[in-house]
Amino acid sequence: MAPIQKLLSAFIIALTVTVSASAADYSHYLRHIPPAENFGQVVLDNYSHKAGVLPVTFDHWLHRAKFTCRLCHIDIGFAMKAEMTEISAADNMSGYYCGACHDGKRVFDGRNIFGSCAENYTEDKGKRCARCHSSAEAEERKYDYKSFSEKLPKLPGNLIDWEKAESEGKVKLTDFLEGVSFKREPLKAQDDFTIKIRSWDVIFSHRKHTVWNGCELCHPMIFPSTKRGTTKYSMFQIMMKGEYCGVCHTSVAFSVWLCAKCHITLDE
Amino acid sequence: MKNFSRFTLLSLLFLYLFFGNCIVGNFSSVYAQDDWKQEYSSVCAKTQNAMILTPEELKSYIDRCDKLLALINELEGEQAATEKKVYTKRVKMCRELYQFALEYKEHK
Amino acid sequence: MKKAIFTTTLLFAIIGIAFAQNGVKKKRPLPFDFGRVVINNYSEASHIAPVVFDHWLHRAKFTCRLCHVDIGFAMKAGATDIKARDNINGYYCGTCHDGTRRVFADTLMFSSCKEEFAQKDETCDRCHSSGKNVKKKYDFREFVKGWPRERFGNGVNWEKAEERELIIPYDYIEGVSIKREKLIAQQDFKIAPKVEGMPDIIFSHEKHTLWNGCELCHPEIFTGIKKGLTKYSMLDIYEGKYCGVCHINVAFPLLDCQRCHTEKVQ
Repeated sequence: MAPIQKLLSAFIIALTVTVSASAADYSHYLRHIPPAENFGQVVLDNYSHKAGVLPVTFDHWLHRAKFTCRLCHIDIGFAMKAEMTEISAADNMSGYYCGACHDGKRVFDGRNIFGSCAENYTEDKGKRCARCHSSAEAEERKYDYKSFSEKLPKLPGNLIDWEKAESEGKVKLTDFLEGVSFKREPLKAQDDFTIKIRSWDVIFSHRKHTVWNGCELCHPMIFPSTKRGTTKYSMFQIMMKGEYCGVCHTSVAFSVWLCAKCHITLDE
Repeated sequence: MKNFSRFTLLSLLFLYLFFGNCIVGNFSSVYAQDDWKQEYSSVCAKTQNAMILTPEELKSYIDRCDKLLALINELEGEQAATEKKVYTKRVKMCRELYQFALEYKEHK
Repeated sequence: MKKAIFTTTLLFAIIGIAFAQNGVKKKRPLPFDFGRVVINNYSEASHIAPVVFDHWLHRAKFTCRLCHVDIGFAMKAGATDIKARDNINGYYCGTCHDGTRRVFADTLMFSSCKEEFAQKDETCDRCHSSGKNVKKKYDFREFVKGWPRERFGNGVNWEKAEERELIIPYDYIEGVSIKREKLIAQQDFKIAPKVEGMPDIIFSHEKHTLWNGCELCHPEIFTGIKKGLTKYSMLDIYEGKYCGVCHINVAFPLLDCQRCHTEKVQ
């Protein structure tokens, strides 16, 4: 090939890779696993910047220790991707989203939950704003990861082992909140099943997943099929594109890089 | 003589008007200006109880709907385009419900 | 040459895979967005913003039957093929929105698509608001304040709201609706699901007929003349057929499994 052709080919390939990477947000997943205190951190800036406040930094670990995924993502209706919910201060003040609990009146765990958002800014109110509209290390924040997670069982990388914490009774998850959740007949607990992948079988903990998430969180949007085996997906999609299992396991739940947590036969 | 002629003329006129729609076909539309809308109201008023009508009643309603649809297709005038679109859908909806109920009864 | 074709195809494939997204949670419409329909058969071609129709306001005031059977709106955005001329002639939106009708004693219905309207008339913006920052007359949050809540969809429990008479949907409008006899209530019935372990569905036929009449579903959506004759699966429903005609975009969404699968777990 003539030099100019080689150059053109290289340029086109480079362009494709970068465009594809940015399109599918690969860069996000190719990053190293963030430090434990930042794992599951979500920054929300739909309107904060425009309103002249710092964007909201939401650390999953605190709420993860108190509520099921289902309660927030199904009953209250938070989306599964940062900034997709498009929460505005008006929404919160009307009792939606954060405001469903953070209304200044609700009592949980024997404590009054601080109200979210206010009409006008005062210095006093500003302290309340800063509980969310601040960086994770801000002094207005009441809880910090280190002291909170001290007594909890850990996974490699100082991440919290939530399953163990729950089985040891160190965290107790609330799945129903009065005025927030809606009473439903419980669905039959789904059985765990094996996903055969040559010698790397996955024993999928369907039962645990339904206890934490309900059905609606995954079905039908993330896993559309009603028949096992009809939805085909690969590790590439999970790890690099954040699809299927990757929706949670690249951002909030234990990282996909901990292979042995799913590919249980690897340990043998 | 004059009276006789006037009488004849008037009689002929009367007879023409009376039978005209059959012979000449000038008054070919069965319904006057908005009478077909009345017919629509009358035919499609029974959809709430389609399930208790007899097959004969259902067949007659379906027939009337078909006639209406044919007429609606021939509409003319300022509002014709709109009326065609609107009423074709409305009449079709009620005709097909009657058809549905008829099939149900015939297969019972 | 072959190499070039192969490389190009591969590059396109990579880009294609990059942009394709399956197995993720798509954005759920916000409560005031749920049921929104954008109608653009002729708007853009006529140099006016497409129409944004929010179902929730009309849902609170009328039965589904009144608009979709009596007036004759289609069940899919754009399928009715509404023209300004139709509205001016007093059909579709123009049935009520004619500038003279008082459906509710206190409110005069604004006129839709009047001939005299200049392009800049603000009345047009009340409907032709897609892409515009129009302040609507009714604010969703204010409108549903204090109403019984529900999850998903509009976040409102419409049934309970009707029970408590917070909403009284009209089913008859003079000069528009046909005078019909009282509807014979249909019986609710059980549908067994295909997936083992899912609770039976108790289909609320009675409620559905009260809101929709018969013609809305039969035979267009449900063609079988005998129970059990029409075979369909959840996948068909997710694609917008059968129950999915309403229960994806306007009525409570399919995400709420237990609203239909209500039989007690044995």
